[in-house]
Order: sequence, then structure tokens, then C-alpha cells
Amino acid sequence: MSGLLRHPRVELALRFLLGAFFVYASLDKIWSPAAFAKIVYQWQVVGPVPSNLVAVTLPWVELLAGLLLIAGVWKRESALVIALLLVVFIAAAGSVMARGIDVETCGCVSVAKVEAASSWPPAWTKGVGWFLLCRNLVLLGAALVLARPRMPDDRRSVG
Amino acid sequence: MSFDWKRFILILVAGTAAGLLWNAAGGRGFALGRSVLVQAGDEIVEVADAKALLDRGALFLDARPRDFWRMSRIPGALSLPEEDFDRAFAEIEEHLRRASGIVVYCSGFGCEASHVVARRLRERGLIAAILNEGIPAWLDAGLPMDSEPRS
Repeated sequence: MSGLLRHPRVELALRFLLGAFFVYASLDKIWSPAAFAKIVYQWQVVGPVPSNLVAVTLPWVELLAGLLLIAGVWKRESALVIALLLVVFIAAAGSVMARGIDVETCGCVSVAKVEAASSWPPAWTKGVGWFLLCRNLVLLGAALVLARPRMPDDRRSVG
Repeated sequence: MSFDWKRFILILVAGTAAGLLWNAAGGRGFALGRSVLVQAGDEIVEVADAKALLDRGALFLDARPRDFWRMSRIPGALSLPEEDFDRAFAEIEEHLRRASGIVVYCSGFGCEASHVVARRLRERGLIAAILNEGIPAWLDAGLPMDSEPRS
């Protein structure tokens, strides 16, 4: 398993998938910062003014780290930035779930409100819950693989 | 390739700076120093002032969905849910027109319903204050809720 994760093509695929996910996730939030600020506030992790600051800065960090990861520039550093963001997201989601707060729209990739129950993707993929927690843990695993120290053999094959 | 902490910090700083710049000059920004829910014309009252208004006979309005109001409410509050505003407004308009003061509240922490209801009342010529942080602020101040179930 460890050898497979160190394969250059696997690393390339992880870089593109993770980078593209974070670039995509940032766009709607950058375009609608006020709507995203309302969602951040609904998480009840920070107050209204810190929520505003998070809402205007976080998507740009996501965008920058995602683009760097895709471009293969500062790969380990950008992967660790994404890992750090994911740790914060996981901790915040855990806090929301532990306190029993109902957040219908997590604001993870879109600031649009949840539509009718029949819409796709289903509402449970958009709120703060177990799906979000598991997805972020998988993404965190991918980010940590990309941020890990290189073995001497890797340096030849990975650009 | 060794890990460079300076690059790591630079990504965070550059992303933060880009976000602040975009908010200031991108044409889609908003005021960072106050709640994003507050718009021009909104009158916000803190819980102590809201309690004083209640003691002076102000009418309180619960902007949450009616099922929440049925379970519990600030004592004396009427239900005026955001999502059923027109019908509920028609039911209680007479009370509203006679009220010496109106305070709207909802569940706080990013709840926008009280702001929306207050604006819609304003469109109908009624001035309503918005309880800052809603029910959590009310409870944090040690003030009572009426938990008698309503139909």
C-alpha cells in the first residue's frame, strides 16, 4: 500500500483530484462572500465578525493551495496547507455535531441553499454530518500522502 | 525536495491578503466589522433593552417556523414565521398596528429570519427592532421562556 501511494502516477492523480476539488470548492464562496459568511456564522464556532474574516480569506487560501497543487509548485507545502484546513474543518464539524446544531448547508463547495428533498445531490451530502466528516477524513489522508517526506528513491521519479 | 515552512506560511498569507483585497476592491465585498445579517435600516436591540421593552408592553414576534413557537417562546410572543409571513401577518395585523413597540427574534447565530421579518414589517409601515443573537442571548441573560405547548 505504501509503495502504491508513492507511485508517481498515483501522486499525480491525488494532486489533480485534491487540487481540483479545492479550486472548485473555492469559486462559489469567492463569488458570494456575504452568503458564505452567513453559513460560517451558522456553524456557531466563531462570532459574526470572525465569521466575516474567515469567509473572505478562507476561499482564497483554498484556491491558491489548490492551484499550486495542480501546477506541481510547492507541492508539499500546498498539500500541508490543505491538510491544515481539513483538520480545522473536521474539528469544526465534530463540534457542530457534538452540540447538536443543525446546519443544512455546510458551505463546503457551494453557498446555495438546500433545495427540495428530491434534488441531486441529496441534502444529506450538503449538511454537516457523518458524510462530510468521512469525506474530509479521506481528503485529509490524500493531503497527508502528498505532504509526507520523500524517500530517496522518490526523488528520481517524481517531478 | 525538502519542506519549506516559509512557503507554507507564504501560501496562507498570500491567500489571506488576496481575500481581503478582493473584499475591499472586487465589487462583491461587504462590511467586515459587523454581522453580515445586518442591513441599512435594521434596528438592533441588545437583550437588556429588549427586556425593558417587554416590561413596557412591547409586542414580541417569533420569526422561527411555527412548530418551534408552539414548543416554546419568549413570554407573550406571537408567531410570525418568515416562511409563512403573509398569512400569519394577516392573522395578527390588528395586534401589530396597536402595539406600542415591536421586537422580532429568532434562534440566533446566523438566523436571518428576524431580520427578514423586520424588513417586511417595515415595508408595511411597522417599525420593529431585532433582538441581537435571538433566543440564545435571551437564555444567556437568565430570562425565562414560556414552554407551555401551544396548538
